Amino acid sequence: MPTASALRIQIEHSLERRFPAALTPVPRTIRETAATGIPAVDGLLDGGLPVGAISEIVGPASSGRTSLALAFVARRTREERVCAWIDANDGFDSESAAANGVALHRLLWVRCKSPGATAKPWARLDQAMRATDLLLQAGGFAALVLDLGATAPEHACRIPLATWFRFRQGADRTRSSLLVVAQKALAQSSAAVVLECAPLNVQAGNGTVLSGCKYQVSTGRIRSSTTTLPIDGKRKPPAVAWPAAGMGQREARA
Amino acid sequence: MSNELYACVHAEEFPAQALLRLRTDLAAQPVVVLEGRPPLETVCSLNRAARLKGAALGMTRLEAESMDGLIRLPRSGETEAAARAVLLECAAHFSPRIEQVDQGTACACVLDIAGTERLFGPPATLAERLRAALIATGLRVSVAVSENLHTARLKAATTRGITVIAPGGEATALSKIPLTALQLPEDHALTFTLWGIRTFAELSALPEADLVARIGRQAVEWRELARGTRPHTFQPIEDEFALREFYAFDTPVEEVDSLLFMGARMIDCLAMRAATHAMAIASLTVQMQLEGGQAQERTIRPALATIDRKFLLKLLQLEMGAHPPQAAVLTLTLSAQAGQSSKVQLGLFSPQMPEPSRLDVTIARLKAIAGEDRVGSPVLEDTHRPGSFRMESFSIAQTAGAYTRGASEQDEEGPVKPRMALRRIRPPAPVRVQLRELKPVSFFDREQSYKIAAAYGPWRTSGCWWSTEAWNTEEWDVLAEANGGAAVACLLVRDGGNGQWQLEAFYD
Repeated sequence: MPTASALRIQIEHSLERRFPAALTPVPRTIRETAATGIPAVDGLLDGGLPVGAISEIVGPASSGRTSLALAFVARRTREERVCAWIDANDGFDSESAAANGVALHRLLWVRCKSPGATAKPWARLDQAMRATDLLLQAGGFAALVLDLGATAPEHACRIPLATWFRFRQGADRTRSSLLVVAQKALAQSSAAVVLECAPLNVQAGNGTVLSGCKYQVSTGRIRSSTTTLPIDGKRKPPAVAWPAAGMGQREARA
Repeated sequence: MSNELYACVHAEEFPAQALLRLRTDLAAQPVVVLEGRPPLETVCSLNRAARLKGAALGMTRLEAESMDGLIRLPRSGETEAAARAVLLECAAHFSPRIEQVDQGTACACVLDIAGTERLFGPPATLAERLRAALIATGLRVSVAVSENLHTARLKAATTRGITVIAPGGEATALSKIPLTALQLPEDHALTFTLWGIRTFAELSALPEADLVARIGRQAVEWRELARGTRPHTFQPIEDEFALREFYAFDTPVEEVDSLLFMGARMIDCLAMRAATHAMAIASLTVQMQLEGGQAQERTIRPALATIDRKFLLKLLQLEMGAHPPQAAVLTLTLSAQAGQSSKVQLGLFSPQMPEPSRLDVTIARLKAIAGEDRVGSPVLEDTHRPGSFRMESFSIAQTAGAYTRGASEQDEEGPVKPRMALRRIRPPAPVRVQLRELKPVSFFDREQSYKIAAAYGPWRTSGCWWSTEAWNTEEWDVLAEANGGAAVACLLVRDGGNGQWQLEAFYD
């Protein structure tokens, strides 16, 4: 009676020309991660967002995308690394960033602009893409945030897939985490992680102050995940909730 | 034994030498140099051929013109300055400590050559090499070496060729020099002539006390000079190190590429000159004189001082691409500020950082894409005005060490609590707001209407009432639901001055 291991070796030997390693799983690459600073999200991602890869944070307005990205950037700048924020819509709020703990002197902020009063976002999108490309080529930035959060999905989805593929290669080469904040997932197969954000509820202190908000984050895609989803029809992705406090000065004044 | 050693270089008739240095065709001709206001010019300098022909210092222009074959040249201060610079630069190859001791129309300098034996050999060898180097530049000089500075100076001024005075032999070496070399006041010179004192040896033989009793205290100085014992505090000249290149175009130039072609050559020269002083270029200023009398000036400041020519040229190219000249360029001047060569101590465990020189180029390119003032680090203003900040240039040097606490140390204090972030709308979108009991209940932002579920406020702020930048606002945090059903948290602001409502930001 042959043992299971001997049987496996025998089968693999007979199939090795057609299916190399037919029964032996391909060794997985353990990708380096960087914590976001939010325990619930880090737990969901098995440590944090991947280093040297594209991560997408998607969701509608007021779903906590910016707060999550700022938490990650704050964590990276506190580690004495430098980060960049490519702002396609010029919506970055430096007070919020400082309140979230971002060391602003370690943050390079690129404010894209429209050449005129046109409503079309192509010029700003083009600037954002070129700026991202340049920063990825320059290297040395621990995190790059490509903020397309206020860009309509019908415009953002026109970014060619080749661009995302190039960004993925650039991030991998320079060991930078590229975070894409958008309303819909854009990078598709080039993204290592897609986090879908949604608002849960709002906390009001004494009924007069917006003292915080609770957001939900679920994983739309994790390329390096070791867990397999059940195939019993209930393919609900894992999700966690995390709280964000209010802006502070309101509560102080109240 | 003294540890001082000086070499004096003396170029006599320097105005004539400076002019003839570049006019080799006149080298064998009798030449006099005239100075003064026409027609009252007089001869201030002349060469040996002119002296042999009978010309002398102080001759008038008419007297000089009456001599056949005598070439008369006007004195040129610029040519003399250039020749003096050449002489000093040549001397600087032998010693960095040089004191200028010009006398009349002669150009003289003294080099502190103590301790140079290992580099240039014995003093005689150094003197030979120094004189040969100066002759190669077209200057005729005499060199004297002595442990006493004044001895070297006086000996070089009164003898030709090379003289090396052994320690202790100063008085002997100076003994035959006439007293006129001391340039005494006229009355004292007459006194010494009446006494029959004509040489240094005769002066030094006089008893000091009797000499002082008859001439005064200044006689001590002359006696010490004659004996070669006069002390001197060396005062080296500060070499003015200016990195500047200038080029005047034959015809006005409009193409940036043509300017960069010249700029590249200028940067090469500047970098090479900086490198010879063990320095680097900390900033580069480009000045352009434009057609029509205008001028344009731009300054490039790399994050770290560098002599990388390609990198500096790339920065220049990006700067000129971002700010091209508004008219054709007549002259181009590049001046550089020298700085210490950058040294970066890398560590095995230090986090990855962008390479400073590469980051400079990247930021310059980003500025060309997004705009000059739209790339940098945000800095919060010291004011209560909501959303106020200013942009500062981003640099690695600024980030290093400015924030010393690491992540682990912060975590020991407790992680920073995540807060709701604002996503600003720039410029704020004007909205129409419906109020009920002074609280907003709905608003319309030109695209869709929102029904407000909860409104928190008002938060009133005002300030700078004394200036034109006064603000007076009323902020409301509102939870609204769009027609499509999407819920948003946003910041509505009412201007206290005109009562206009604006959608300032979304909480995200």
